[in-house]
Amino acid sequence: MRPPVAGKGGSLFRGTSIGTTWFWLGAFALLPGLALLLVSVLDKGEIDFFIPVLTLRNYEELLGPVFLTVLWDSVRLAALSTLVCLLLGYPFAYRVARARPKWRPWLLLLVIIPFWTNSLIRTYALILIIGAQGMVNKVLLGLGIIHEPLAMMYTDFAVFVGLTYTLLPFMVLPLYASIEKLDPTLGDAAKDLGAGSLRTFWHITLPLTLPGIVAGSMLVFLPSLGMFYVPEILGGAKNLLLGTFIKNQFLQANNWPLGAAASTVLTILLVLMAGLYRFVSLRVSGRERKGLLPGALGDPDVMNGKKRRARDGETAGAKNAGGA
Amino acid sequence: MKKTLCLRAAFVSAVFAALVLFLPQGPAHAADKGQVVVYNWSEYIPQSVLDDFTRETGIKVVYSTFESNEAMYAKVKLLRGKSYDVVVPSGYFVDLLRRDNLLRELDHGRLSNLGNLDPKMLDQEYDPGNKYSIPYMWGALGFAYNSKFVPDGSLTRWDQMLDPRFKGKIILTDDLRDAFGLALRSLGHSVNSKAPEEIKAAFEFLVKLKPSVRVFDVTAIKQALISEEVWMGPIWNGDYLVALEENDRLRFVFPEEGAVLWADSFVIPIGAENVDNAYIFIDYMLRPEVAVRCIEEYKYSSPNLKAVALLPDELKNNSILVPGDKELKNAEFTTGLGETLGEYEKYWEQLKATQ
Amino acid sequence: MALWLKRSYLALVYAFFYLPLFVVFVYSFNSNKYTTNWAEFSLKWYQSLLSNSALLDAALNSLLVAVCAASLATFLGTISALAFKRYRFFGRKALYIAIFMLTVSPDIVMGISLLIMFIALKIELGFFTILVAHTTLCAPFVAVTVLARLAAFDEQLIEAARDLGASEPEAFRHVLLPLTAPAIAAGWLLSFTLSMDDVLISTFTTGPSFEVLPVKIYSMVKLGVKPDVNALCAVMFVLTLVLVLLAQTISQSRRNQ
Repeated sequence: MRPPVAGKGGSLFRGTSIGTTWFWLGAFALLPGLALLLVSVLDKGEIDFFIPVLTLRNYEELLGPVFLTVLWDSVRLAALSTLVCLLLGYPFAYRVARARPKWRPWLLLLVIIPFWTNSLIRTYALILIIGAQGMVNKVLLGLGIIHEPLAMMYTDFAVFVGLTYTLLPFMVLPLYASIEKLDPTLGDAAKDLGAGSLRTFWHITLPLTLPGIVAGSMLVFLPSLGMFYVPEILGGAKNLLLGTFIKNQFLQANNWPLGAAASTVLTILLVLMAGLYRFVSLRVSGRERKGLLPGALGDPDVMNGKKRRARDGETAGAKNAGGA
Repeated sequence: MKKTLCLRAAFVSAVFAALVLFLPQGPAHAADKGQVVVYNWSEYIPQSVLDDFTRETGIKVVYSTFESNEAMYAKVKLLRGKSYDVVVPSGYFVDLLRRDNLLRELDHGRLSNLGNLDPKMLDQEYDPGNKYSIPYMWGALGFAYNSKFVPDGSLTRWDQMLDPRFKGKIILTDDLRDAFGLALRSLGHSVNSKAPEEIKAAFEFLVKLKPSVRVFDVTAIKQALISEEVWMGPIWNGDYLVALEENDRLRFVFPEEGAVLWADSFVIPIGAENVDNAYIFIDYMLRPEVAVRCIEEYKYSSPNLKAVALLPDELKNNSILVPGDKELKNAEFTTGLGETLGEYEKYWEQLKATQ
Repeated sequence: MALWLKRSYLALVYAFFYLPLFVVFVYSFNSNKYTTNWAEFSLKWYQSLLSNSALLDAALNSLLVAVCAASLATFLGTISALAFKRYRFFGRKALYIAIFMLTVSPDIVMGISLLIMFIALKIELGFFTILVAHTTLCAPFVAVTVLARLAAFDEQLIEAARDLGASEPEAFRHVLLPLTAPAIAAGWLLSFTLSMDDVLISTFTTGPSFEVLPVKIYSMVKLGVKPDVNALCAVMFVLTLVLVLLAQTISQSRRNQ
């Protein structure tokens, strides 16, 4: 009685969900992306933002010393902030994931709540803390530890504080997800076999949480390349960074093609990192097949597991109909 | 727990949705005379002035703000002069917008209060005959220093910024034209120089200055000076007066080589939909009793002579708010540079990229 | 490691998260305008906030966009996550990679490319465009969150449901959805947060008729943040806290019944 209806509903659902996905990504991600790529090989017009003349001049211009310095400065800063976030975030995520289950959602919620306040305002608030007349200096001066206010604002230190503050949750959340999935008995087993805490961590915990580490690092590294207001507000905008460079091409220099080309370069960086991520996920999923890890975040096939009985819902539906 | 997280989200969204739907959307207006869409710098017209305008004329003000001329220019250009009825660009951006055919020629006959303006502030190079723009406020880029660190009265010139004792103690404006303007002025060149060797010399001046620069300002230049994060830095006269209210050790200098002048003007974009209301708005802003409220709130200089006359004595006689010929000796307005701007931009990026 | 050491590390990181908020809260009562110096306790910024209708309008607009975009994004993201999990179709891998890349793609690139498209299609900038943009910004995050949840989920469960005669939509509703509910909720919250906080995409995709809070604040940054913004943030923060606590209490009492 039911199977025909079920089959129909199934294919309708299938069509709708795939169609929606296609439409959404096609119209609002693929199309604009292609438009950007197109603009990056056009020429800059005198009055119009770009004119329909094909050229590779923009990419040539990016090979100049200015952009390479910008790129290097940005990558260095982003890599260091990622490292700081990882070192701070890992033990934190670990503690949260190992808290009593009752507490975990609360602890996570506490991480998210501050981010419901505008990030520009929070960045500003950091000035009140690390500025020449900020809280830190006031306390240290008051205690007589220092006699001149420390110059923390407008230094690389301030930028690190700002980036870490803004991006730490993006590191913590994926780390938490991968640590929580980790079976705590694994560590106990290793200890029973005589491995020390450090060795257990190095050989068991770290490799198995690697997807979380890479995911978190990507979520910190790439945005910090594009983020312009933290270095501007806290770092004093002394060095031109990639985000500011791109923003300037669009909003200041009116050189859209050059900005589009720089965005494309940023996207290529992104692709490279995505490749790295996939590589790591695949390696970990190799371990997964040996039954060590319940699942890895990454390639959809890796996530679904290769050991599925049926290839997809359609085959399952057909089989189902046959069974009925 | 899993379920509660979902419930919680649903609940929060429901409450927010209810809030959004039931709270009144802006003040209600008795007489509906349409609206005027104003695109202006943030913190530039007191809210009470806008409210009074609506009360008197029945025209709703839709007030939109920008944080830099460049952002404003890009936006107006993108919208092809549509959507906004009144925009307030700075001097040379009037020139740029006009060149791009984005401005409407003004009918001076519809601005009854035009006569209140100082003729000296009209007919500038960026808009001869004020065919497209009517000045709202103007100001001068001089510099301020903190008398706690620098002896009172010891600084008078731009080139004193190069003094090695200021290493790491200067806040420099992050505006390309202002920074190059002060460098050019200090070398005795025009702030609007198009000569490659002069631009290069100004660039070299800024490179020499860079080790002294602790911060390029993009946020409030006032803040770093007030909180004594830096000793000195170029600042607009109006901003200095506001900063002075919170740190009385700050001093302002109109440099001998000449200040860099700017003026912000009302313009009507070519695609404005409420042109009549735009004229009514601009004319309202030119009223002396309205303009004087804006001056008192933001402490910028005003081209409105009748408004200046209404100022209380201590402000009227303040040579920083109302500079005379002595203060403005050698001072110069920035004007449009055309294609040469690209040269400046290249040097500017190079400056930022050098260590 | 001693327990107190572990706990104090947690506390330290939370302090790092909350100290700036605390500072915003405290300074919203400071009568000084620009400086970091404490002058005296004052409620004047709350008064000035009440009369600042432009700022309040922008805050309401932001809430409206955030709620709508988060809900739309949650719907889209969940649908696509389910499609990725259950079906094999043309371009699946490419779309999957696209979603993943969107989560890390810099805001400015997304803002600019959407703008180029809107302009080319001659769509007027305003509520609709910013809604579309924010939905595009948020949906990938939802998809990734839900997918991560689905990864831990046993495919056999849904097939057991199908074998028992459940239709595909029924299996989704009664098996998959309840299991993914926490991820969907988390996705919604994340989207809401992203939308409320986005400066760049909003700058490029909203029109003059629809100012949103982050853009407004960003343009104020140039000329110095006035403490009435601090007051607004303090109010919003307290409001969120109250709402979260209220929701928690309600769901708790419901569970106890």
